[in-house]
Amino acid sequence: MSGSRFDRVRRLLGPAAAPDRAPDDAAVDASAPARPVLALRGVGKVYPNGKAALHDVDLVLGEGEFVFLVGPTGAGKTTLLKLLIRDELPTSGEVILDGRDLARVPRRKVPELRRKIGIVFQDYKLLPTRSVRENVSFALEVTGTPRGRIRPAVDQALAVVGLGPQGDQLPTTLSGGEQQRTAIARALVHEPRLIIADEPTGNLDPLISWEIIQLLLRINELGVTVLMATHNAGVVTALRRRVVALEEGRVVRDEVGGYHRDD
Amino acid sequence: MYGFLRFVTFSVTRGLQGLRRNSLMTLAATSTMVLMLLLLAGFWLVQAGLAAGISYVEQKVEIVADLHDVPGAEGSLTVQAVALAADVAALPSVQSVSFVSKDEALAQFRDRLRQRGQVDLTGFLDRNPLPASLEVKLVDPRQYEPIVALLSNQSRVVDDVVQVQQLVAQLTTVTGVLRTGGIVLLVLVGFVVLFIIVNTIRLAVVARREEIEIMRLVGASDAFIRWPFIFEGAFVGLLGAAITLGLLSVASGAVTDFMYGFFRVLPLELGSLQRDVILLVVGTGFGVGVLGSWLSVRNYLTR
Repeated sequence: MSGSRFDRVRRLLGPAAAPDRAPDDAAVDASAPARPVLALRGVGKVYPNGKAALHDVDLVLGEGEFVFLVGPTGAGKTTLLKLLIRDELPTSGEVILDGRDLARVPRRKVPELRRKIGIVFQDYKLLPTRSVRENVSFALEVTGTPRGRIRPAVDQALAVVGLGPQGDQLPTTLSGGEQQRTAIARALVHEPRLIIADEPTGNLDPLISWEIIQLLLRINELGVTVLMATHNAGVVTALRRRVVALEEGRVVRDEVGGYHRDD
Repeated sequence: MYGFLRFVTFSVTRGLQGLRRNSLMTLAATSTMVLMLLLLAGFWLVQAGLAAGISYVEQKVEIVADLHDVPGAEGSLTVQAVALAADVAALPSVQSVSFVSKDEALAQFRDRLRQRGQVDLTGFLDRNPLPASLEVKLVDPRQYEPIVALLSNQSRVVDDVVQVQQLVAQLTTVTGVLRTGGIVLLVLVGFVVLFIIVNTIRLAVVARREEIEIMRLVGASDAFIRWPFIFEGAFVGLLGAAITLGLLSVASGAVTDFMYGFFRVLPLELGSLQRDVILLVVGTGFGVGVLGSWLSVRNYLTR
């Protein structure tokens, strides 16, 4: 049962696959997502120091959507992502992941919840003293996965991101793009329903950035919902996907289109 | 059950890996542990010696009751004196009662004169002027009152009870201060040791906050995050304790003569002291290692 999504990925990655097919605009219509993976209703966040980071944010992500989260530094993107993984709790409103209000999830259930979400960061957050393979299997080991299931899952995740041959190298010997692909493999290895990417191309040159975006698009085609925070105007504009723009803690735009309203 | 075994295996393996992969921090934590345990063990030994010395001095306190001379019974006890000795020995605060006959008293007196190099003139006496006496040793020197009272009441047998109040009061004041001071000092050193070790382990954990952060993000439960660090702390503690005991046993060769000479005169068993130090070092190392890890990791979990 666990291999089905990856089997689809393999087919997509295979020579016969057509991974670059045009996005279907109807499927990303923001107004009527079939089944929400994630819903924020009237979410506000004020930090204990009095700084208000989010005001009355409404946002619904449907199953299988690919959504860009854009906005200037300090607009509240990082706070929003922290709310999604329950690293922070909202001051007002509710965050509902997979039908569950995160504020009502008891603390000891939070780890289970996080396994449904894969997270990718700008700075990769890899363990420098462990190989690529160990970094990916780490996510399974620390969640108590039986040893026998770890190896095949890691192999598959590495195959999806195309890092099979580099498995025994240390992250420090890899290029930035390869390090980020390692991080994506680690995010994938739990077979999450949602992948949250916080500026995943922030440290990468344009060509490598495109490779990473292509990879995330392919993963999205498996049915994994992707929410990607980015400053990369070129990518956002070219892809014509749903764009949620934050400014000073408010959603100022939520529509299919480019990085700027006038694109 | 299988899941639990896997969890324990994971935690132990990960704990050992943590020791190896962070060898610099392991070295720092272990050497701090060794130094602190040596300090603690040293103070423990000093305190044990002090306590033994105090007990030794306190045991020197005795109540002496001079007995009336009974003509014809110079070398032995009268019936009344035997009964009195039995009564006194039955009191709970009495450690032992011994009888010093007139002849023994004279012999001891002559010994003392000889030791001081004084001329022994007792040979010119026509009879032994020294009284026979009962010497009562006390369990607790402060409990002399009932014994003195009992002895004083037996005026038919007892001639005079040598008063010890003054001496006992002064002695117990001094020993009480020393004893309390020793324990306070030991507790203070214990706190310092605890604080320093916990902080060193905290540094080692802080150095790996990235790893903990990643574990949290990929959905590791608190137990999976906490226990490898606790095992690691326990290993550091036991390693530190083993090294400390090794150093102590090497060093003990050099101080054995001194220690042996010291403790031989004191009512203290070297065997039990050794066992106490081993228990102290191993227990503190293990306990503080675990406690330090637990406290340090907790900071990253309560969010």
